Amino acid sequence: MSELTQELKAKIITQLNLEDLAIEDLADDTPLFGDGLGLDSIDALELIVMLDKSYGIKLADPKEGRKVFETIQTMADFIEASRK
Amino acid sequence: MKEPIPIAITGMGAISAIGNDVANHYSSLRSSNPGIGPITQVQTHHRGNLLVGEISMDNGALYDCLAIPAHEAYTRSTLLALVAVREALVNAGIDPADGYRTGLISATTVGGMDATETYYEDYLVSKSHQHFIPTHPSGYSTEQLARHIGVTEFVTTISTACSSAANAIMLGARMIKAGLLDRAIVGGTDCLSKFTINGFNALMIYTDSYCRPFDEHRNGLNLGEAAAYLVLESPELVKQRTQTPIAYLTGYGNANDAFHQTASSDDGEGAYLAMKQALKVANLDAADVDYINAHGTATPNNDLAEGQALLRIYGSVEAVPAFSSTKAFTGHTLAAAGAIEAVISILALQHQVVFPNLNFSQPITTLGIVPQTQLLPKKIDHVLSNSFGFGGNCSTLLFSNAHD
Amino acid sequence: MIKPIYVHGSGSISIQPTFEPGYCFDSILSFAQNPVPAYEPDYKALIPAMQLRRMNKSMRMAIFASRLALQQADRTAVDAIITGSGLGCLKDSERFVEALLAEEGQSLNPTPFIQSTHNMAAAAIALVLKCKGYNMTYVNNANSFESALLDGMVYLTEHPNDTMLLGGVDEAGERTTQFWDIAGYLKREVPTIPTPLEGAATPGEIAAEGATFFVVSGQPGARTYGKVTAVETSLETDDTVVLLSRFLQKNGLDADAIDAVFMGFNGDSRYDGIYRNLGHSLFPATLQLGFKHLLGEYDTVVASALAIALQLLNEQRIPSSLRLNDVEPKELKRILIYTQRRGKNHGLILVEQ
Repeated sequence: MSELTQELKAKIITQLNLEDLAIEDLADDTPLFGDGLGLDSIDALELIVMLDKSYGIKLADPKEGRKVFETIQTMADFIEASRK
Repeated sequence: MKEPIPIAITGMGAISAIGNDVANHYSSLRSSNPGIGPITQVQTHHRGNLLVGEISMDNGALYDCLAIPAHEAYTRSTLLALVAVREALVNAGIDPADGYRTGLISATTVGGMDATETYYEDYLVSKSHQHFIPTHPSGYSTEQLARHIGVTEFVTTISTACSSAANAIMLGARMIKAGLLDRAIVGGTDCLSKFTINGFNALMIYTDSYCRPFDEHRNGLNLGEAAAYLVLESPELVKQRTQTPIAYLTGYGNANDAFHQTASSDDGEGAYLAMKQALKVANLDAADVDYINAHGTATPNNDLAEGQALLRIYGSVEAVPAFSSTKAFTGHTLAAAGAIEAVISILALQHQVVFPNLNFSQPITTLGIVPQTQLLPKKIDHVLSNSFGFGGNCSTLLFSNAHD
Repeated sequence: MIKPIYVHGSGSISIQPTFEPGYCFDSILSFAQNPVPAYEPDYKALIPAMQLRRMNKSMRMAIFASRLALQQADRTAVDAIITGSGLGCLKDSERFVEALLAEEGQSLNPTPFIQSTHNMAAAAIALVLKCKGYNMTYVNNANSFESALLDGMVYLTEHPNDTMLLGGVDEAGERTTQFWDIAGYLKREVPTIPTPLEGAATPGEIAAEGATFFVVSGQPGARTYGKVTAVETSLETDDTVVLLSRFLQKNGLDADAIDAVFMGFNGDSRYDGIYRNLGHSLFPATLQLGFKHLLGEYDTVVASALAIALQLLNEQRIPSSLRLNDVEPKELKRILIYTQRRGKNHGLILVEQ
């Protein structure tokens, strides 16, 4: 599991151009939106593209993303659950 | 308060999925005959799964109808614009080269992108379409238009995403009021393209069906293509020409939501400010408005924010006048939307009728406002038309009756 | 009628170090390439990283230049924003076309699409300044900035107490540059900055990029360093001498009343004759200055000429790198800027102390 979270952190930093952040700066439970990392609805769309391209998971409704992308941990859990 | 100077509208022309001229627009609107259907012209993967408001004439037919030699490079947005501008000039009974200071202000976001995306690789390896290379810049289309109709005085192009045409109309009025022009030909044009279809699809705001403006279960827009232009003239010139205006442009406003690159703020701040300003310029109260032609793209975000702004302007659900989004007829025509909806607003004034908001069944729970879903004959003196775009760009126009 | 507008600050990014404090074309960077990329600042100095991460080059350059202009004008907010951009955010447009040609039907990243929109620079400025006022973007080839300027004058005549940011921005795109090369717009043989003019000129332009923004208002203030009194454009003209003479006449001036004239010589042997004729006919005894031979060619480069003109009016000195002739004006009070591109999009700007 922690391998997946590390991988996700690296991917998020690259995909969303968070170049000032290091993997260590991102905790598994940092809220990605709102007062946490401060991501927005466009980032959510980019994360949906990432889920599809990297993990073959398609989200049809951007509203679904809200729950999935709450934290790195919720993303990892969602990916794990989809793999089963 | 100073009496506002009414800018006369003496002509209009339009082409969209619901008609190749203004008269056909009126009959389609009147008979609730929408123009949304499958993609048959743009070469895209999304043929068969996304619906658009396509103009049935293909580029070949447009070249023929405009008598443009086949070897000359005109992109679709320019061809559509020429059709609409010609109709507007005939309707106004003017020749732009008649000596009055006439400007052309055109809006586009697609510009020549339809050619660029088609020949992107081809340009590098073959000479056969290289004469289309210069058509890429948005301004090129306006310049072709200007040469065709003989406008030499002032020519410019506006691109503020989906509010572009409303802003072009507004600039024309402001330049006339400032004494810089006697007359302005104003409007916008955008054709369908792979670029925009894929863009809105990637934003996940493109419905997989027919768009449902202001409905609780709306799930996105249908793109459309259109061009529409108005002829605006100063009150003095109209008097000299003894021309009867078809309507007046009495108010306009532009404001920025300053909230997010694409999303509208929850309280519709930009929309609210734009409507407030337009009413102020026209020296009208919100209650004077008889019909609102809403932006109503049928995306979850737009309709909620616009509805919220309407409630802020009017104070209660009951006070909101008859309103409808006509995007279910034409599709969202981007930079042309403000102009095609200006034409629809003027038709509403001329025929004293509110056009229906199609595909609506259930009001948005948090708002409770219900658009006009049937054709409604009523006394209409003032029509308010909204156009909002990416980058928080919000514009409102106010059209008023000719017989005042 | 419209009223003059007063300039209180400017900021500029170009292929020369124009964003550096006090820079005034005394030292010139040389290039032998086409296109020439902008000489860029460390954007992080004025733009927070969280904002910067989703800004393309046009947005970065526009915001940075705006920040410089605001600093100089000692302001933190404005009431309105107007920009000109001939080609908008080209790189993101190219990126999205390339993505959809390669993988249409798969998931596409929407960010390049959003940021291909021409008004993204004006929108980005509104967003960072929380400016809810008038926001407009003109995309009219080489007259985009003049259109913005004219709208600015109309707006400030309507709203005499407002202050606005007004500017131009254009970026170069890789594929688009290839297209312009095919279309024959660009120099092919040894393109250099500074670009040889007159007898040494060759066919074609040197493509470049940049952003120049101004803080302007309808009233003079403590920081005012010049005013724009007239602007005019003409898509095409049979006779530029007549065009300019009429412009001067409309503004109640004759050629002698102009202390210096900026002209858009860019070393394109096919079109520089337009400027040469004008210089001979109207301004033989007037100081003639150039700027495109140092800044390259792009649709909104004329905004830089306005920034330089204002700087010269304030410093009352003329860097030799800008000179096209040796005329010494008695004083510098009024400067005329005239440009065209490839024989069309004529633009005239009158700048006064």
